[in-house]
Amino acid sequence: MTTIRLDDRLLALRGQVREWGADFRTLGLALDRDPELIREHFDLPAVRYLSTMGIPPEYGNVPIPIAGNRFYGTLALERAIIMEELSCADVGMLVASPGPLLAGVLIDLLADEQQKDWFYGRMLESPLWTFFALTEPDRGSDAGALSTTVVPATGDKPALLSGAKRYVGNAARAQLGVVFARTSPGPLGINAVLVESPSPGFHAEALETIGLRGARISAITMQDVEIAPERFLGRHLSPSRRGMWAFVQTFNLLRPGVAAIALGIARAAHEYVITHRSALRRDERDRLDLLARRIDGARRLVHLAAAAVDARTGDGYLASAAKVRAAELAHDATQQACTFFGAGARLEHPVLDKLVRDARGMEFIEGTGNMQKLNLFQGLFTGKLDRDDPFRTAPLAG
Amino acid sequence: MTTLAHTDQWSRCHRAARTDGVAPAVTELAVAVLPGLLPCGPAGHAIVSEEIAAGTSRVWADGVTVDRSACAETALGEIDLPGGPVLLQRHRAPGGVNGFAPAQRAAWTLGLVWLRLGLSEELRETAMRYLNGRRTGNSTLLQQQMVKSTVADGLIEHLEVRAVLTGIGPGELPDTVLNHLHAQLTQADRALVKLLGASGYLAGGPGQVARVSELLAEAYCRPEEWL
Ligand SMILES: Cc1cc2nc3c(=O)[nH]c(=O)nc-3n(C[C@H](O)[C@H](O)[C@H](O)COP(=O)(O)OP(=O)(O)OC[C@H]3O[C@@H](n4cnc5c(N)ncnc54)[C@H](O)[C@@H]3O)c2cc1C
Repeated sequence: MTTIRLDDRLLALRGQVREWGADFRTLGLALDRDPELIREHFDLPAVRYLSTMGIPPEYGNVPIPIAGNRFYGTLALERAIIMEELSCADVGMLVASPGPLLAGVLIDLLADEQQKDWFYGRMLESPLWTFFALTEPDRGSDAGALSTTVVPATGDKPALLSGAKRYVGNAARAQLGVVFARTSPGPLGINAVLVESPSPGFHAEALETIGLRGARISAITMQDVEIAPERFLGRHLSPSRRGMWAFVQTFNLLRPGVAAIALGIARAAHEYVITHRSALRRDERDRLDLLARRIDGARRLVHLAAAAVDARTGDGYLASAAKVRAAELAHDATQQACTFFGAGARLEHPVLDKLVRDARGMEFIEGTGNMQKLNLFQGLFTGKLDRDDPFRTAPLAG
Repeated sequence: MTTLAHTDQWSRCHRAARTDGVAPAVTELAVAVLPGLLPCGPAGHAIVSEEIAAGTSRVWADGVTVDRSACAETALGEIDLPGGPVLLQRHRAPGGVNGFAPAQRAAWTLGLVWLRLGLSEELRETAMRYLNGRRTGNSTLLQQQMVKSTVADGLIEHLEVRAVLTGIGPGELPDTVLNHLHAQLTQADRALVKLLGASGYLAGGPGQVARVSELLAEAYCRPEEWL
């Protein structure tokens, strides 16, 4: 399977990460049974790479060179390539790995110099898990209506954070993360604060999930957690630039990567059939070819969507299209793969069963299909997505 | 022809699936149509309640009955669900066993569609309750038009499956039709589970029920290429 228009640099990146993925594939099923197994594998090259991915060079990140280049993972297109390969190898290992990922993108967008020094500095010291807590028990898709509060400091009393979050990746084992909370009603009242764990009043507990078990999604409760003034992200920015705006931009930047993860799962299903089935009948070959074409098509869209947000952070509309498409493809591909292995395929092939379970989670991460479709429509309706030249801003298309 | 006894059996199993969960419904169906037997699919897979797993000494392998002791038995897992866990097993029957009983197989395979229909209908109800309890702006999620459309799509599948099943007795629908009904239910479940948001992704909840429902179809249906 090839992706056209990736330059030699990016092709080398893809080749190297694909090679690293071999370890992930070997460990996938064991990690699915015990998500804490990742602690024993911090020395794998892919885990090491992910543990600092997204940290800009000026903060001291020195990732290992690949074909003479260093990839800092600060670009959505680089991340899309990395995510597809590692997800295709094993998505559980990918989402279990420590690193700045979601929180890191927000930090890059929002934090002041001192906050960046502190956050990136800690990430470079040793592999740490981070979390990005937006979703609440009663508010998922409608995240703007979140109700966690951070009561600002008064006199000698520190700011206090209280509320609950749910389904937050890796929160139960993370050492630091960001929590979205409001200081006042309305969209401008939303702030992101940095929180360390353990902290008095902060509690996170892992939830058992059907798939993506490596993500250790967690329920968080916070009761009067003290937040120092320097932990308010974007305190140097206007309120309109640090609350809702910030998580929308963060999601725009991350969405192509999420789509790439889904794509990787679809590809893993396709490759599983090719590896484990011999002598395909004609109709089976046709079905498999069709699947390969769908995977290639979705990849083109993912890469263009990534190039678009790299060019302009506000351009997350293509990424919504890519995410819906890839999440559905992951679902279809994994389900279809089962039909190549006769009765009780999933009971006989634990890897297939895991792929099906993992694929289901892709619908929800970073916004459901409905929310992505509404966003895409909005882009079209308002003209922000160019009707005549939708890839205009994506340099890849040139 | 449909006998009253059969209609009663299906409706009991259908109701158990809706109100009690997977394991009680499987028990209900197995006790009714395969008494004393441990139901296995064409490749020897079983997805059964603890009660059936513990209380059967003979294995029913997609139509033929053999002593359980003659089979190679492998535990493949256990899944916790509302209404009790289900056990996943493989029973490899020795070759050359005779005595295929088509009537039993016809009753089991038809009952299984009713069972999965019940599970899927209950998923729809659960999703509606969940969505009615969540707000966006001044309204509930259930009142969003995209959501209503998905619920209606699920309902249409349920109505069609039920229309095809209604008044039908064992053996009246060929396996290809039964497989198609299973595919429709899988499709409906897939869309309905999405409506539960991430709550549908938690182990032990309604999303897990939908997964096991799909596994039931996969374990007990004959693949298309065999038909
Ligand atoms: C594996 C995994 C990892 C996750 N990681 C994180 C994380 O790290 N941090 C974090 O904060 N969250 C995380 N989440 C949560 C995720 O962001 C939410 O699940 C998602 O935003 C949906 O919210 P919800 O689950 O509450 O669904 P709901 O908002 O309750 O949605 C239920 C259904 O209603 C539909 N719906 C909702 N509103 C509308 C509307 N206006 N119009 C039409 N349809 C609508 C949805 O599409 C969905 O089908 C994760 C979830 C998963 C499964």
